[in-house]
Amino acid sequence: MTNLAADKATGDAVAGNPPREALVVFVAALAVCVLGYLALAVPGPWFPSGSPKGWAARELTLARGAGALERGELIVAAHGGAGGALVTVETDFRSVDYRAIAWDAIDVPQKADVRLVWRSDYAPAKLNAIPIAVASGRLLPVLVSSDPNWVGRIRGLALAINGPLPQSVRIRGVVAKPLSAVDVGGDRVREWLAFEGFTGTSINGITGGADVQDLPLPVLMATAVALAALAWFGLARYLAGYLARTAALPAVLATLFVAAWLLLDARWMWDLARQTDVTARIYAGLGWRDKHLAAEDGPLFAFIENVRAKLPADPVRVFMNADAHYFRDRGAYHLYPHNVFFEPYMNTIPESSRLRSGDYFVVYQRRGVQFDPGAQRLRWDGGEPIAAELLLTAPGAALFRIR
Amino acid sequence: MDELKLFAGLMLPWLVGMAVLVSGLRARVSLAAPGEFAWIAGAGYLVGAFLLTLWMRALSLAGVPFSVFAVGAPLLAATMAAGYYAWRRDGDTLPRAVLAALRAFAHPPGLEGTTRLAWRLLLAWLALRFIMLGFQVSWQPLYPWDAWIGWATKARVWYELGRIVPFAGADAWFAADGGAYFDAAPGYPPTVPLLQVWACIVLGRWDDALMNWPWWQIAAALAFAVYGALRALSMSALGALVTAFFVASLPLANVHVALAGYADLPMAAFYTCAVLALLRWAATRDARDAALVALLAVACTQIKNPGLAWALTLVPGVIVVLLPRLGLKLAVAGLGAMLFLLAVLAQTSTSILGYRLHLDFEPAWAPLRASYFLLGNWNLLWYGVFAAAFLAGRQLASQTLAPMTIIVTAGAVLLFVVVSLTNASAWVADQTTASRATLHFAPVAAVFAALAFRAFAVRWANARPTADAPGA
Repeated sequence: MTNLAADKATGDAVAGNPPREALVVFVAALAVCVLGYLALAVPGPWFPSGSPKGWAARELTLARGAGALERGELIVAAHGGAGGALVTVETDFRSVDYRAIAWDAIDVPQKADVRLVWRSDYAPAKLNAIPIAVASGRLLPVLVSSDPNWVGRIRGLALAINGPLPQSVRIRGVVAKPLSAVDVGGDRVREWLAFEGFTGTSINGITGGADVQDLPLPVLMATAVALAALAWFGLARYLAGYLARTAALPAVLATLFVAAWLLLDARWMWDLARQTDVTARIYAGLGWRDKHLAAEDGPLFAFIENVRAKLPADPVRVFMNADAHYFRDRGAYHLYPHNVFFEPYMNTIPESSRLRSGDYFVVYQRRGVQFDPGAQRLRWDGGEPIAAELLLTAPGAALFRIR
Repeated sequence: MDELKLFAGLMLPWLVGMAVLVSGLRARVSLAAPGEFAWIAGAGYLVGAFLLTLWMRALSLAGVPFSVFAVGAPLLAATMAAGYYAWRRDGDTLPRAVLAALRAFAHPPGLEGTTRLAWRLLLAWLALRFIMLGFQVSWQPLYPWDAWIGWATKARVWYELGRIVPFAGADAWFAADGGAYFDAAPGYPPTVPLLQVWACIVLGRWDDALMNWPWWQIAAALAFAVYGALRALSMSALGALVTAFFVASLPLANVHVALAGYADLPMAAFYTCAVLALLRWAATRDARDAALVALLAVACTQIKNPGLAWALTLVPGVIVVLLPRLGLKLAVAGLGAMLFLLAVLAQTSTSILGYRLHLDFEPAWAPLRASYFLLGNWNLLWYGVFAAAFLAGRQLASQTLAPMTIIVTAGAVLLFVVVSLTNASAWVADQTTASRATLHFAPVAAVFAALAFRAFAVRWANARPTADAPGA
């Protein structure tokens, strides 16, 4: 195997400009893929007459359940009852002009029973419903045009969340979409370019845009590369100079693949640039301590700094306790190089018999810990009390020294 | 001033490793040979970083407290000694070779017009990425979960105490009565935390943002090493740069720099360099290259516990190199025997490297498929790997490609076992493990794809002599 042979194979020895041809074919293949997708995804005419109609959160009414409007979002509060929640909005549009309804809501429980409800002037007394799928805490758009009850003028829309709601749901609005080709294409582009900021799960994997994507960009790119390669090879075979032209296949494949990779990478770099801007706004110019105070666990860090001020200079045994394992583990991290003990994964505290005089005991938002100031006794989770001294208190937090 | 101190401290392992590799160069290999300087810059950092941590472990064992002088001075002296030896051996050719190598990087020979423009644009694109990642590393305090429950916990303690002290599980911690420390992963190896400790030592204070600069260095070193190794394997300059670009632009690898603190990217870099060193050794059969393979393989075991398994995937590659005719059959038979053994062990509940083996064969295909082909973790890497393997066909078993093919096969088998036959399969289902475990292997897969594609390109070119002009 020689470098010369590889260079020949990548096109240097072939007249014409196969890489440029490849790029032209790639653009054409991308266009064909997009058109093919739209042909499958757009349910009716590509250019219907209506334009999207939207209602913001302030126009919504919480007809059932508890909640409030905050910062442009309708917060539906968590509840344990079976009554559920119902969010309604008065509307007036022709059903034939709008084929899909998209509720913009986040933090929806994955297993929640969520339905789109509507009534029309065709049968005003009748309430119609259709289930809405939940993906990554968001509601997927519902295609309503195929439902036989989607007729006449739509007089009202509603979002019904049935059964208990273990966490609050934030609703930003609802949009009726004609689902033109432009709508569908625009939705896909918005999904690809949606900002995916760093979260606690980013280290395990990134989505590459919006949490839910109808057409993942890598799939589109790979399909376009395959189609372009086949098209170029087909053209090369049927054009004059078959041997010389097809000799450039490796160069063409390499060009196609690199072009597709660069497009995907441009999307990622754009996301990274926006994330860098976000990080800069929070942390740039700050010292180490100020960065931690500005971080999402700033209040915990501030409390632990106060705890550290009460601890001896030399490392001592410290037990870090909190209900939430994030606070428990993060608090422990801030306490090093003291000899910290914490339960990384379970919300338990060792029995009091395992602690000894001179140990320290930190509590941060932990239920079940009781201190009797008169008797100077500390106990937790109904266990045996132990002699302790209160050194520091803060809202929902305290530091004790075991005596 | 802090920046200067940190820069000097971070450059030390880089210089140590480069000096060691330059002084160990074979007499007939010039530093100006294609890719040689980039390889030394890339592999050199990893070698230097590992030697730095070995030295810190030795100091701790000897009871010498960590300090800039105790850690840095001997390493600086070693660097100067190795540099002096190389200068005495090579004379003035050494600086000339370095300059020539740098010149070749800026103006690669053989590239004109569009290809030269593509070269420069790719370099600029890479530079922009590393600038942004540098900002992220400088600003972002330690963020990802395992970093502050199992890795940097050790760095903090060892930095503040000035020595390595043991970490233990809960029962042992209570039994030690203050003689041991506790965190969520007391069994993790010390290499990665020690790199953070060194950054803090040169800074003179604990800083859990700036101490993560080694992750940036590792990513840069990996790109250099991939470029250099492929150039030395006769790949064209643009082809080698494109492959290095693929490796450096893997989004998940970038995330592991921006949110530094996990050992997965270091694992990927050390493993990839070990594989590349093995390919160099396959070409040269020089004992010094073999020693580098061994050093990097040992380093793999000291980065993460699964590093032992990754290091073992090199063994079939070594067999194929040593026994070109029988080796492939032996290696395949060995892999088959290992799979059989794992299947037998899986009838029990044996634990290996912290993973519980149990025959609960229900691979989480859907999350794997999503991670590899639908999500944004890898750009088009896995499409490219499968396509290149398909195009290369029987050449995957050729003498030049067989070592790489068998290593990649062993790596793929290892990944398959982890995600389908162990308790890790549960973590695959919720996407917490599949992508991170794959990151260890992804740069090697990219290199494999590049070599397989080149094999296809050469075969295609040889089968279609281009004497006929188009249109003739």
